[in-house]
Amino acid sequence: MMEYVVKPTAIAVVFVLLALLWTFPLLHLFAYPFVFLFLAAVMCSAWFGGLISGMIAAALSSCIVAFFFMPPIFSLSIAQEYRSYESAFIVCAVAVTAVSVARKRAEAAIRSSRDALDARVTERTAELERSNSEIRGRERQLRLLTEAIPQQIWRTDKDGSIEYANRDLLDFTGLHDLSGGAFFEIFHPEDRLIVTGGWQEARLNKTKFECKARVRGGDGDYRWFLIRANPQCDEDGAVQCWYGVHIDVEDQERAQQELLLSQERLSRYSRTLSMAEMAASIAHQLNQPLTALLTDANACRRWLQANPPNLERAEHSAERIVRDTANASEVVKRVRSLFSRADYVREWTDLNELIREFARLLRDEAIRRNIAIKLDLSNTLQPICADRVQIQQVLLNLAVNGMDAMAESETDRFLEISTKELQPKQALVTVRDYGVGVTPEASTRMFEPFFTTKPGGMGMGLAMCRTIVEEHDGRIWVEILNPGTAFHLTLHERD
Amino acid sequence: MSHSLPPQIIYLVDDDISVREALGDLLESAGFEVGRFGSAEDFLAEWRPEMAGCLLLDVRLPGLSGLQLQTRLAEASRSIPIVIMTAHGDVPMVRKALKAGAIDFLSKPFQDDELLRAVEQALAVDRARRQSEALMSSIAARYDTLSDRERQVMELVTEGMMNKEIADELHLSLNTVKVYRKQVMDKMHADSLAELVRMRGKLGTKHADQP
Repeated sequence: MMEYVVKPTAIAVVFVLLALLWTFPLLHLFAYPFVFLFLAAVMCSAWFGGLISGMIAAALSSCIVAFFFMPPIFSLSIAQEYRSYESAFIVCAVAVTAVSVARKRAEAAIRSSRDALDARVTERTAELERSNSEIRGRERQLRLLTEAIPQQIWRTDKDGSIEYANRDLLDFTGLHDLSGGAFFEIFHPEDRLIVTGGWQEARLNKTKFECKARVRGGDGDYRWFLIRANPQCDEDGAVQCWYGVHIDVEDQERAQQELLLSQERLSRYSRTLSMAEMAASIAHQLNQPLTALLTDANACRRWLQANPPNLERAEHSAERIVRDTANASEVVKRVRSLFSRADYVREWTDLNELIREFARLLRDEAIRRNIAIKLDLSNTLQPICADRVQIQQVLLNLAVNGMDAMAESETDRFLEISTKELQPKQALVTVRDYGVGVTPEASTRMFEPFFTTKPGGMGMGLAMCRTIVEEHDGRIWVEILNPGTAFHLTLHERD
Repeated sequence: MSHSLPPQIIYLVDDDISVREALGDLLESAGFEVGRFGSAEDFLAEWRPEMAGCLLLDVRLPGLSGLQLQTRLAEASRSIPIVIMTAHGDVPMVRKALKAGAIDFLSKPFQDDELLRAVEQALAVDRARRQSEALMSSIAARYDTLSDRERQVMELVTEGMMNKEIADELHLSLNTVKVYRKQVMDKMHADSLAELVRMRGKLGTKHADQP
C-alpha cells in the first residue's frame, strides 16, 4: 500500500507543486500557457517515483494546467481553441512518463547487473586470494620439502639448463649457480665425458638418465654419486623440464672397491697357487722319466765298465732308455694338450662394440688404479671374425701390462685404446700406455714364453696374446714410444 | 769280536715302474742286493726288523706316503736308515723327513754317484747300529748268567767301591767278595775293570734296577 500509493503520490505532488510554483513567475513571459515545467515534473516523478508516480503526476498536471492556465482560468473546462493544446500536453505527459519509466528501468537493470558483477568480482577476488594463499602455502611446503630433504635435487628448463638446485646440492658443491655449463664442472674430469655423453643421449631420446660419477664437494674432495634424471613431458611429448637427483653412493662404492680389491687379491693368490701346483705336477711328471733315463744311462755305463763287461745287462738298460724316452715325450704331449684349447667360438663381431664392453669391464679396475681409459674408435670398421673371449683376454693382458707400467707415473695416467681401418680389409687395434716403457732388447723377446721383466711374473701373458692373435690370422707387435709403449694388433675384417 | 752280520739289502720303494727298474738295475750294477716295492704297504708287509739294509723311499706314493711310512716305522721302533727321494724339490717335505731321522735326501733326477754315496752312508749307519745291537745283546745274555749276589757285587764294583767297602756293605767276608768279583769278571768276559764299567753302562738302567 505504502509502496504503491503513498510514496508515488507524495513524489508526484511534490514535483507538480514545485512546477506550479515556478510556472507562476514565468507565466507572463510567454504568450501561450507555459506548461513545460509540468512536463519536467512528470518526468522527475516518473524517474524517481516510478510508473504510478508518473501517471499521478501526469493526471495532476493535466488538471492543474486545465484549471490554472487554460482559458477560462480557474475552471477545469477548456476553451475550444486550447483543447488541442491541452491534448498535446496530456500526450506529452504520458509519453514523458513512459520514456522516463523505461529509461529508469533500463538504468536500474544496468545498475543491478553492474552491482551483481561487482559482487561477483569481489567474490572471485576473495576466492582467488584464498586459493593463492593456499597455493603459496603449498609451494612453501614443497620448497621446504625440497630444501629439507637430505638429497640433492635439481630441475632444468626444457633446454637442459639448471634452473633450480636445492639447498643440499648447493651446500655440497659450495656453488650458488649451476645453470649453463657450470653444472658439468662439478663432475670429476674423468667422469665428465660419461656424464655429458649419457645426458645428451637421454635428452635426445627423452629417456631416463642414469650414471655414476664423482662430484666435487665445496671442500675440493670428490664423492661418488648416482646421478638420475627423468624428463617431464607435455601432452605432445615435448620435454618441459628435467628433474634430477644425486644420490651419495660413496660408501657403497668404496665398500665395493674394497671387495673387488680383496677378490682380486684372492683370485690372484689362488691363481698363483694353482699355477704353482700345476708347475709342481708338471715338474714331477717330467722328473720321473728323467730320473729313469739318467739312471738307466748310468747303469748301462756301469755294466759296460764292469770287468768283464756285462753286455746282457747293458743291453737291457739301453732298451729301457728307449722305452723311457717314449714315456717322457708322452708327458710333454700331455702338458701341451693341457694348455691348448680346441673349443673356439668364432663369430662375426663388432670390434668397437667389443672394445667398449671391455672398457666398461675394465673401468672399475682403472679407477682403483687411478688411470683414465681413452677410447678412439674408428666408425668405418667392418665386423671381424673372432672369439670374443679370446680377444678380450688379449686386450686384458695388454691393458693390465699398460696399467702396471704406469703404476709409478705421477702424470699422464692414460690408457688409450684405438681402432683404425688398415688396407686391405684389416682392423688395427692399438693399446697405448704412458708408462715406463720397454728396452729395445726386451721388445725383441717379450712375446717369447717365460720372458718377463716383472717380479713374480710368469712370462706367459704376451706369449698367450701372440698365440691368440696368430690363431686369428693376425699379427701383434710392439712399438716403443716416448713416453710409453704401444701394442698393435691386426685382425681380419669381413670381405 | 767278530759277529757274522746278515747280508745288507737296499729296499727300494717307488710307485713308478720305470724309475724302480732303473734304480734297481743301477744298484745291482754297483753290487748291491735290491728289494723292489711299488708301495709302502707292500714294503711293510714283507719287511722284518732283522733284515739288514736301508730304505730308498720316494716321498710321494699312492696310499701310504713316504713320510707316513717313516712315521709308522718310528712308532713301531723298527729302525731302518732311510734315504728320501723327491721329484718336487719339495723343501718342507724334505725338511720333515730329515727331522724325522732320514739319513739323506735325493732330488730327482740325480747322478749315480750321489745315489751310491747316500746308500753307502745309510748302510754304514745300519751296520754300526746292528753291531752295537749285537754287542748289546751278547752283554745282556752274559749278564743273565750272573747270580743275584754276583749282580750286587758287579753293581758296587762298577760304582767304584773297594772290596773292603763291598764286604761291609753286603756283610760278607773280604775273601768271599774277591771270589764273587772274579766270577763276575769271568762270566762277563771282562778283561779289566774299565771294560766291566763300559758293559755296565751299555746295559743301562733297565738291568740295574733288578734286585
